[in-house]
Amino acid sequence: MPLDQQKALLFGSAAAVRLLLFTAFPSLPNRLAGRVEVSTPVTSFKRLQEGLFLYTHNVSPYDGGVYHQAPLLLPLFSLLPNPSYYPFATSVLFTMVDLLSALALAQIAESGQSVVTRLFKSSRKDLRWSSVAIAAGFLFNPFTVATCIARSTSALTNLFILTAMAKASQGASFTFVLALSFASYLAMHPLLLFPPLLVLLYDARASKTKSAPSPFLFSVVHTLGLAAAVCALLFVSALLTGSWDFLAATYGVRLLLPDLTPNVGLWWYFFTEMFDSFREFFLGVFWLHVASYMPGLTIRLRKQPLFVATTLTGIFAIFTPYPSIADATLYLSLVPLFRHLFPLMRYTFLASASILYASFLGPAFYHLWIYAGSGNANFFYAITLVWSLGLSIIVGDSLYAALRDELDVERPELRGEEVKRI
Amino acid sequence: MLSFLHFLLLIALVACASASSDYHERLLLRPLPQSTLLASFNFRSMESSVAFAQQNFRYFPRSFGQILQHAHTKELHVRFSVGRWDADNWGQRPWHGAREGGTGVELWAWIEAQSEEEAFSRWLTLVNSLSGLFCASLNFIDATKTIRPVMSFVPEGDHANSTSLHLLHGTLPHEVVCTENLTPFLKLLPCKGKAGISSLLDGHKLFDASFQTMAIDVRPVCEGAGGSCVLEMEQTVDMVLDIARSKRPRDDPIPRARPIEEIECDTGKGYNSGDTCYPLDKHAEPAWNLTELFGRPLKGACPLTEETGDDANTLCINTPPERTIQVNTTGKYAETRSASDTLRCYKLPIGAEFDLVLPEQQMTTGLVRAEPQLYAARSINGHGQERGSVQAVIKNPSETDAVEFVYLESLPWFMKPYLHTLRARVDTSSENPVRETYYRPAVDRRRGTHLELRMVIPAGSTLTLTYDFEKAILRYTEYPPDANRGFDVAPAVIRLLAPYQSVDKKGIYLRTTSLLLPLPTPDFSMPYNVIILTSTVMALGFGNIFNLLVRRFVGVDEVPALGAGGLKGVIMGKIERLKAKLGRA
Repeated sequence: MPLDQQKALLFGSAAAVRLLLFTAFPSLPNRLAGRVEVSTPVTSFKRLQEGLFLYTHNVSPYDGGVYHQAPLLLPLFSLLPNPSYYPFATSVLFTMVDLLSALALAQIAESGQSVVTRLFKSSRKDLRWSSVAIAAGFLFNPFTVATCIARSTSALTNLFILTAMAKASQGASFTFVLALSFASYLAMHPLLLFPPLLVLLYDARASKTKSAPSPFLFSVVHTLGLAAAVCALLFVSALLTGSWDFLAATYGVRLLLPDLTPNVGLWWYFFTEMFDSFREFFLGVFWLHVASYMPGLTIRLRKQPLFVATTLTGIFAIFTPYPSIADATLYLSLVPLFRHLFPLMRYTFLASASILYASFLGPAFYHLWIYAGSGNANFFYAITLVWSLGLSIIVGDSLYAALRDELDVERPELRGEEVKRI
Repeated sequence: MLSFLHFLLLIALVACASASSDYHERLLLRPLPQSTLLASFNFRSMESSVAFAQQNFRYFPRSFGQILQHAHTKELHVRFSVGRWDADNWGQRPWHGAREGGTGVELWAWIEAQSEEEAFSRWLTLVNSLSGLFCASLNFIDATKTIRPVMSFVPEGDHANSTSLHLLHGTLPHEVVCTENLTPFLKLLPCKGKAGISSLLDGHKLFDASFQTMAIDVRPVCEGAGGSCVLEMEQTVDMVLDIARSKRPRDDPIPRARPIEEIECDTGKGYNSGDTCYPLDKHAEPAWNLTELFGRPLKGACPLTEETGDDANTLCINTPPERTIQVNTTGKYAETRSASDTLRCYKLPIGAEFDLVLPEQQMTTGLVRAEPQLYAARSINGHGQERGSVQAVIKNPSETDAVEFVYLESLPWFMKPYLHTLRARVDTSSENPVRETYYRPAVDRRRGTHLELRMVIPAGSTLTLTYDFEKAILRYTEYPPDANRGFDVAPAVIRLLAPYQSVDKKGIYLRTTSLLLPLPTPDFSMPYNVIILTSTVMALGFGNIFNLLVRRFVGVDEVPALGAGGLKGVIMGKIERLKAKLGRA
C-alpha cells in the first residue's frame, strides 16, 4: 500500500473512532472531563466552559478562582456553538487537533532527526519505525483518545509543541517560533523546550545550506523573535480581557499552586501536607528542579537535540505542577521515534509494568478515596508515586540508551561490551 | 446651692418622665399546631440622635452604642439562630421573616465610609468588637465570609446621605448559638432580665426550643423631612417551644415511660389489654403555664415601660376566644381583649409575680394558620467528595399571584459553583424565571461566591434551581479539628419583592436551612511521610538523570587500568596529578 493511502486510512479511522465515541456515548465526554487524571484545573474543559460563560456575560473570568486558562481560548471557543447543547462542533475541533498533532509527529519522524543529525549518526540508524506507525501509536494511544474525548485543552498545547518540533526539524524558523510561542503562551513550561529546539533548528538549517549561519546571530534573532511573539500574544490577551489580571490567574496559578485538586503529579499532595512556613521555599525548589534538567541535557546531548526535547516532555509529564495523562501521552508518542535505542534499554519491563499498574489502579484507588470512602488520600497518592516512578524510569533508561548509543559511535570497539560509568 | 440641687433633681424627674415612652417591650404568645407555642419577645428602646452623638446614653446600652460610633455603623442587624422554622406546619414566619436569621450567626450593617476599603476596615473593627460583646466567634467573619449584597437587603432606617453608606453582610453558619450569647443579649436590656417579660428568658429553655432566633436591629428613624431623628434599637427573640418537652422537670429531663395506670389507653385497639396500651390521642390543647414552660416565673412588669395606654400591655396571647386562661398573681393587673377576642393582652403588675395558667381543653375551633407566601427548601445532590449539585425548590402556594423575589447565596470559596450549569425551571411554564443575575465568583482563600438572582415564580408553581459545584481540597492546616464532619454552607436568603409588600420597611424574608458540605480530606498524620516519599521519587529521577549526564562511559575492562572508581581511585588520581606537577616543577 502506498504511504499516502496508509496515511489516509490511518487518519480516517482515527477520526472515525473519535467521532464515534463522541456521538455514540454522549455522556462520555463530560464523564472523562471530570476525571482528575485527564483534566487538571489548568486544562479542564468544564472550567473552560465556565470561563466562556462568564466571558460572554461580561464578567471577567479571571476575577474568580475557577478559570485558569489562556485568554485567547475564550474568543476561539465562543465562536463555536454552546457545547452543552451542540457538542458536535467541539468534537470535530478536538478531533482535528489530534489529527494535526499526528501529522506533525509524522513530519518529525520523516525528517529522520531522531537518528541522524548534523553532528551525529547513530550506528543503529536503520532500526526505525515508519512515520505512519509512529502516528498510529499517537492516535490510537488510549491516553490520547481519552484526552481528546475529555476535550482537555492540553491537546492544544500538545499540538503546538509537536508542530514546533516538526518545524524545527524541517528548519522552518518562522512557523517554529510561532508554534513554540503559542505552546508557551498556553502552558508556560514549553518555554523550556526553546534551547534544545533552537539547536535542532540550527542543525536542520545548517545541513540544508552550504554555509552554516553564525550561531550567535542565529540564536539572538530567534530569541528576540520568540520574545516578540509571546509579548504580542500577551498584549492581545490584555487587550481582549481589558486588564493584566489574567497573568496572575493563569501563570500565577501554575507557579504558586493555589488549587490543590488531585492530579497524577507529585505536587498536589506534597503541598497539601506542607507546613505553611516552608510552602514558598519548596515551590521555589520544585520549579528550580524542573528547570534544572534543560541546561544539563542540552549541553550533554548537544548532538541529539530532538532527544533532549523528547526527554524534556517526559520531565514535564512528571515534575510540573499540574500534569495529566495528556502530558504523558505526548512523551510516550515521541519515544517511538527512538526505536533504535530500544535494544539498549534495560528496564523496559519494569517501566511498562508500573505504568500499566498505575493506569489501572489509579482510577480504582481514587474511587475508593472519594466515592466509596473505604480508602483515604494515601491510596491515590501512592499510585501517583508509582506512575511518576514508572515515567522517570523510562526517562532515565532512554537517556542511558542514548548515551550508550553515542558511545558506540565514538568508540565502536566498545559496541556490545560491558560498560561502566565513571 | 440647695436650689441648684433641687433643679437637678427636677431635671432628672422630667427626663425620667419623658423617657418612659422611649422603651417598649411586648411578649406575644401564639399556640401553633402539634402542641407547640411561639413566643415572640420584642424590646424596643429609642435614643435621640443628638443625645447619641453626645454619648448621652439612657436606654441605649453604652457599650453597644460606642461600638457603633467607633465603626461608623449607621444601621446594624445581628442574628443568632438555631433550628428550622417548619413552614409546612407552623405557617407564616413571625415578623414576616424580617427578624429571623440563618442558622448560626448572621450580621449585616450599613457602614459610612468614603471608599470600599475604608468600609471594609470599619467592618472588621465592627465584627471584632461585637465578637467581644456577644461572646460569639464574629471575628471569624473575614473577607472570605463577607459579601456586599446588591438586591437582597434595603435599609430599614431613614438615612440622610445614603451614597456614602456601604452594605456588608457576613455569616457564620457553623457557629453554635448558646447561653453565653444570651447573657450579653439580656444585659443590653434596661431591665436586664430582672423584671418584665425578659425575666422569662432562660438559656436552658431558649436553646432547647425547636426554633429560636435572637435579633438585634439598630436603625435611625426620622419624623418627616428635616424632623428630629431617633436611633431605634430593637431586640427580638422568637422561639418555638415544644410544650411537652418544655414541661419536663429540670432535675429529671430524660423522657421516661409513665406507669401504665397513668396513661389513658385507646381501648378501640384490638391489642388493648392490661399490659399493652396505645396512648389515646385526645386532640386536646395541652395544659401549660408560663412558669412551667419557661422554667422561671414572670417577675412583673419592667418599671421603665409605659404605665397607661396600649404600650402598657406587655403580655399578649393570641388564642381562640373559647380557650380558658386563668391569671395567677398577687399584684394588680388589667386584661384587654381585641381583634374579636382572639388577642388577649395583660398589663403586668409591678413587683409581683404573674402567671398565666391554661388548663387542658378540648377545642371546637382550630388554630388559624397563615399561609406563607413562599416555601423554600435547599439540598445538596450527588455523592462522593469531589463534586455535587445544589438544588433549591421554591413553591408558590398562591393560586392567583405570581411572586417576584431575590435569591441570595453566599458560598464559601472551597465550594466552586459552575454558573454555566445553573438551570431554573418552573413546572407550569417553559419561560425562564430568572430576570436578573448578579454573580461575583470566589477567589481561592480571598473571597467567597456571591450569587443573587431576581426571579419570578408564577401562581401555583414550583421553581427548581440547580447548579453544579466542585469541592476544593484544602491545605491540611486549613481543616478544622473535626474535618470529616464537613463544612457548613450558609442558608440562602429569599426576599420577596412583589406583589406582597410589608407595611413597614422591614421587608418579607425567608431563609433555607444551612447545608453540610463534606470535603475530601488528606491524611492528617502524614506530612513527614509525604515529604519524604515525594522527595525520594524526585531524588531518584534527578539522581539517575544527572548521574548519567555528568559521568562518562568506559569499558568495564578499562576501569582498573584507569584506577578509577570509588574514593580510592579519586584520591590516587589526585596524588598522581600532584606528583606530576611537582615533578615538572
